[in-house]
This record gives sequence, structure tokens and C-alpha cells, in this order.
Amino acid sequence: MALEDVCGFKEKLFSTLEDTTTSVHDYCNLEWKGQETSEKIPHHFFMPHFSQTNFSISRTPSPFGPRDRSVTVRRPFPLSHGTTTLGFIFQGGVIAAADTRASAGGLVACPAVHKITPIHSHLVVTSSGSGADCMLWERILIREIRLYQLRHRRRLSIRGTAKLLSFMLHPFKGTNVCVALTLCGWDKEDGGPGCAKNSEDTSCKTDDSPSGVISSATHSLSPNCGPQLIYVCSDGARLQGEVFSVGSGSPYAYSVLDGSLSWDLSKKEAISLAREAVFRATHRDAYSGNNVDLFLVTAQGWSQRRREDLKEEYYRDMERKAQKQQSGTTQVMTCKK
Amino acid sequence: MLTPQVLLRADMAWKSLLTSSSLPTSLPFASSQPVPLPFPMSHGTTTLAFLFQGGVLAAADTRSSCSGLVACPASQKILPIHSHLVGTTSGTSADCALWKRILSRELRLYQLRHGRRLSTSGAAKLLSHMLHPFKGTELCVAATLCGWDGGELFYVCSDGTRLQGKLFSVGSGSPYAYSILDQGVQWGLTVAEATSIAREAVFRATYRDAYSGNCVDIYHITSKGWTRRSVDRDVWASLLKLLPPRPDSATSSR
Repeated sequence: MALEDVCGFKEKLFSTLEDTTTSVHDYCNLEWKGQETSEKIPHHFFMPHFSQTNFSISRTPSPFGPRDRSVTVRRPFPLSHGTTTLGFIFQGGVIAAADTRASAGGLVACPAVHKITPIHSHLVVTSSGSGADCMLWERILIREIRLYQLRHRRRLSIRGTAKLLSFMLHPFKGTNVCVALTLCGWDKEDGGPGCAKNSEDTSCKTDDSPSGVISSATHSLSPNCGPQLIYVCSDGARLQGEVFSVGSGSPYAYSVLDGSLSWDLSKKEAISLAREAVFRATHRDAYSGNNVDLFLVTAQGWSQRRREDLKEEYYRDMERKAQKQQSGTTQVMTCKK
Repeated sequence: MLTPQVLLRADMAWKSLLTSSSLPTSLPFASSQPVPLPFPMSHGTTTLAFLFQGGVLAAADTRSSCSGLVACPASQKILPIHSHLVGTTSGTSADCALWKRILSRELRLYQLRHGRRLSTSGAAKLLSHMLHPFKGTELCVAATLCGWDGGELFYVCSDGTRLQGKLFSVGSGSPYAYSILDQGVQWGLTVAEATSIAREAVFRATYRDAYSGNCVDIYHITSKGWTRRSVDRDVWASLLKLLPPRPDSATSSR
């Protein structure tokens, strides 16, 4: 599998490492080879290898690196969530927005990164923290959700997805894995107790095409139905809420969101609020910038707005202020002390 | 080693201003043991100041925090220095209060000696040079000097920064305030509009930042001097209407 090559894990790598008495997860056969425990773990999680001498995770080297010793990869610079991502819930669904700058220390490593990734047709996830870790964990999450769907013939709820992700990340707590994801999705629970009334209101499309039509029917916010917003972090935090903003630019975005956010926003207002929040954050935060990505998740699925360069927005904002200033100078003439 | 005496000899222009007796006698290098700080210092506050056509507006919250404890919910973070100069303070309250008093005294001495008031940029430079010997110690002062002599705004910090600008916000709540200010501040605001923007910016910061809170102090500086335009009610009581409305509880069952 391509993911296996990305991770660099082959079965024989485990046997060359020092401690073979600890339980080892055989990646290829997806079976738990625990020697102490006889109970079976129902979900096959990817578990790292713990050395028994000291409780520090040593990364297994890539297939191209040295195989006979475990090397701890040192960070070249202190990690911080150099980004601005946000998500909020309103009557029309869930909005997820993010900037597109990937920074490495003081360098803009890539000005056009995708920080919002669709997991399935009704779930997108915004990522913050280490770009590599986020990309990997998004792929793992996509795979696990798809496997669940194939095995159990129903889609895992957003809360279940968040729990799954949190438990997958838990073994890496205390290591250098730095992942902060916000799951923004829409639960479609057909036949659930809170949704019996709504299953005919929201259109029961079985094909999961990402169309951007908002259903104008009212919906209720029961726990397993409707829009959901959950923040999952590699520290172990798992929080459900109505508005989240993650990253170094998050304080700037929070105050813009807090100012205007309400349940009754129209779709246009919500989109422009999200854009404005990311724009203000990119203006003040050095580690956020370039473009803004915007996703809207509704009962029909996710839809993506065209990526917008914030440089033009900055010049438009300057023009607007200059125009206001010109109209304001007539007032100044009259009320000058 | 940079002692104030060395600074004096180097800068002849300030010789008349700074005499060795007017500076604090206990210099950082002369003391034997530095006092260890009980907790890591951070600028747990929200202060802001901006220029507009009606003068300078300075606003701040009133919470003094002491690593998790609200030491004083009604502290004054905007301290008048003289009738046309006001300084917002951030950092260590004790240090800020002391240096504000030193600055007021030095400016008054200058006024008496030279028959005219020192400009805002001169006051900023004076403060910055007085703070310089303490660079590298645990002194923590970040002040925004808002004055009316053409309406100038300077940010002076104990690590040596001295910046002139049109808009500053200092403290742990400053990112939250910056967004609101960037959205709303422009030159042509009326006084009422500017006051409400400043109040909203501090309110947003107090909403999200744990170290900012309680009331909002607002000072307006014009050619006639400074006036205090704050309402002494707690920020929650007076600004509750600015909170986003909750979704209808009948339809939500979270």
C-alpha cells in the first residue's frame, strides 16, 4: 500500500529493533501480535514501537536510512501552529476556512498549501501544526473511515470520527507529533431518534456529489444529526463546539468571529465573515498569509469556494478606507477645534 | 558596562536633564542578588491607542493578574503624565507605576528648566534612554505614550523598542483587539465612533483572553488636554448586548 511506503514500515524493520518482547503491531497483516495480552483489540490501530529502557519514542528510520539503529529526528526549529484555520456552525451548515501559507521557521515554505482536506463527502478537516504530520494523519483517517464504512455498511458519525482520531493519536502523546485538526462535518443519521422528522426535510441523496445547494428546511441540533464541529489535538484534547480557530493567527480571527457570529447568518454573510476573519489574521500574523480557502458543508455535502488571493483583498480594504477618509474630511473641516 | 554616568558623558544633549542624583541609586549591576520572579512575567493585559481626526484615544482593561489570580479588578492602566500626555502601561504594574512617576517628574523638571513642555517624541526618547540601563534585567515595562502636540503616539518598551505609529495594542489581549481595530479605525472617525470601537476592541479581548477583564478605561486626548470617558460598570454588564445571540434553545438539544 502506498501509505505503508510513505510511513516506511515493513515487517522486517520491527524485528531488527532492540526490543522484541514488547508487543509489536504487524502492519502488513493488521493483527495484534501482543505477547503479554491475549485480548484482541477490535480496531487495528497503528501503534508505535516503545523502547523499554526509557519512555521516549524513537522513530523508526525510513527504508532509505540506516536500519540498525533507531534515530530520533530532531526538529530544525521550534514547532508552532503557524497558521490560521477556523470553523463555525450556523443555520446553513458548517464553514471551514484557512489560509494557505506553510512556514518553516521564518521562511514561507509554500504559499499555496491545502489546509482543508475532505475526508468524505460530508466531512472536511482543517489542519494545523506540522504539515507533514497533518497530511499523514488525514490520510490515515480517510482510510480508517472508509474501512469502517465498508465493514459496517454505515458511515461513522463525526463524533465517532473524532474519537477514533483522538485514540489513534493518543500513543503519540508526549512525542513531537504536532497535529491539531478541526473536523467540520454534517451527520446524516437516517432513522435516528432525533432525525425521524428531518429525514424527509433534508434531501435523501445517496450519491455524495459535492454540490453547494443549501437546504432551506429547518433542522434540529440533536447530537447525532446535523452540523458538527469538533477539535482534535495531538495533546489529547477533543472538544465539540460552535466556533473554533486554531493556529498562531487564531486570536485575530476569534475577535472578528465573536463580533458577528450568530446562528441566523445567511450563507453569504457567513462566507464573508469567514473571509474577513482569515484576512485580518493574515494581515497581523506573520505566519499566515497568501490565499484563503473556504469550504461549506451542508446536508448535501461539502462545496469549495474558489481560492482567493488576500493581497487583492488588502488593496480593496485600503481603497475602502481611503474612500471613507475622503468622505470624512468634509466632516473634519467643520468640527476642527 | 553601560552605567548612567557613561550614558551621560556620551550624550551631551541630555546632560542638563539627567544628573546622577535624579536616577535611582540602586543600579542593576550594583545589586548583589537579583530578586527572583515568583512566576513568569507576561503582559497580561489589553491596552490600545490610536490616532484619529479628533485626537488620540487610549483604552485599556482594568484587570491586574498575578499568575492566575486577579490581584485587582479595578486597576488603572492608563496613567496621566501631564495634562496633555497619557501613558498606557503593560507589563509589571509595579515597574510601570514607578517609571510613570519618574517620567512625570523628569518632564516637570524639564518644563521648569526650559519654560516649555517636552514633546511626545522627546518624552518617549527620554523614557527609552532611562530604561536602557535596565535592559537585560527583569524589568518589564511596555508603555504607549499618547500625547497631543500634533497628536503623536509612541510605543516604548523596556527591551529598548521605541516606535512611532498610528495604532498600537499591547498585551496578551492585543491580537484580539488588533483585528477589531484594523476593521474599524480610520482617520475620519468621530469621537463617539472611536470610543465605541475602542470599547468593542477591549471587550473582544476580555472575552477571549483570561488575563484581561473587568472594566474598560478610555481616555481621549485633544489639544485641550485629556478627558476620561469611561463608564465604571463592568464590561459584562454594559456590553452584554454585543455578545452573539445564542441559537434558539428550543431547537438545540446539546
